[in-house]
Amino acid sequence: MLVAWKYKERNTLVQRLDPRARWIFLISVMFSITQFWDIRFLLFFFALSFAHYFLARLTWKETRRVWMFVLILVVVIIGINAVLTGRGGPGAVLKGSKHIVWQIKWVVPGINWTIHPNITVEKLVFAVTQMVRMLSITVLFLPLPFTMNPNVYGATFRGLGLPDKFAFSMDLAFRFVPTLARDFSITFDSQRARGYEVEKLEGGLIAQIRKMAPLVVPVTINAIVGGEDIVNAMDLRCFGLRKRTWVHKLEYKPRDYVLIALGVLILAGSTFVNVGLGLGDFWVPEWALRLFGF
Amino acid sequence: MDKKWYTFGTREVVFAALGAALYGVLSWATNMLALPAAGNIALRPAVCIPIFFGIVFGPWVGLISGLVGNIIGDALSGWGFWIWWDIGNGLMGMLPGFAAQMITSYRDAKSLVIADVFVILGVVVGIGFASLSEIFVSGLDFATAFGGYFVPAALTNIINGIILVPILMVAYSAIAARTGR
Repeated sequence: MLVAWKYKERNTLVQRLDPRARWIFLISVMFSITQFWDIRFLLFFFALSFAHYFLARLTWKETRRVWMFVLILVVVIIGINAVLTGRGGPGAVLKGSKHIVWQIKWVVPGINWTIHPNITVEKLVFAVTQMVRMLSITVLFLPLPFTMNPNVYGATFRGLGLPDKFAFSMDLAFRFVPTLARDFSITFDSQRARGYEVEKLEGGLIAQIRKMAPLVVPVTINAIVGGEDIVNAMDLRCFGLRKRTWVHKLEYKPRDYVLIALGVLILAGSTFVNVGLGLGDFWVPEWALRLFGF
Repeated sequence: MDKKWYTFGTREVVFAALGAALYGVLSWATNMLALPAAGNIALRPAVCIPIFFGIVFGPWVGLISGLVGNIIGDALSGWGFWIWWDIGNGLMGMLPGFAAQMITSYRDAKSLVIADVFVILGVVVGIGFASLSEIFVSGLDFATAFGGYFVPAALTNIINGIILVPILMVAYSAIAARTGR
């Protein structure tokens, strides 16, 4: 069982940027998006997120699995929920005048409970707005595992202010992955050789979970035993006594400052528009009402 | 146990890293294997790792194991970044870390029961945070966030956790004496 990071070295603008600048920009834009329910503003962020995605130059083959998951989540769960209930978000969808496109009256047999599900123009616009919002946030972060080198996570978060030991722990975690994946693979094969078939666990739920123990326990305990040796080795080398230096030295370039400034500007501007000017609430376009004959 | 809960020395650094890597690898590996599910409850054995590491090594180790482990698992699977779910998993590992002060032995029944109580607490808080943050981020209503996200995820994690964490604790007790710490 070979474990491989999805990250690939690519000569793109996105990968040439400092990872710290990227994180600052992405977090700023994410908090900007969450301030709006007006689709006119959200479409700007939608375009920004997809511009970032296309600049990363990912292939469909690499990302199709996550796209399937995201589209099912966004369209089925969020879109359909928004159309059926209209609940969530700013709440303005269910208040005020409603322009009903379709409705049905159904009496639940036996208890005589009447249900009036309906679809209104407001709910349809809300569903589209919510999908645009959700996609903007999701697509913003989607390229990260494919475009950020796992070796620089520790240095990146140290550069963003995380304490030395936490950042080193994060860095070490990424480095342990291939070793532990190999150990898991060996344990899995050894247990299979002893007749343990994880795909054919029998018994009830509790019995099946208990039967996962032969897979989980040896790998975990083995890792802990090995960890004690690593702790001793690090202590003998006086780990933690002085400030650390990092193998990957990150340096800001002018384009990174531009990106950080852009992110901060977008966040500040969004906050001003939302809080200062009171704009950005849920909006139903006139043409949508005309489209359904209102 | 005499260690202060906020201690984060060399030992905690290494075991936090190990916990994170284990959680990430086991999540990825068990996703790849076609594990059976029973109704709404999936087999997710990996979820016991941040909780177990929190209980044994403290809250900071649990936090990093859950948070960074979830990032690693998503990175290996190519699922992207879901920051609020990463934080939720971190909280799920962190809260049981506060049980470490109450646990005197990794074998006796009282300690195992305390651990299970903190499994439930950790999962409820961690998964609750992640699910309810969808209200703010995705604009879901409370009913959808609770029924569609929290209930299936929390139920799965609780059931997997309360069974596997005590098993890991008993296994760990066999080697704990060897460390001499």
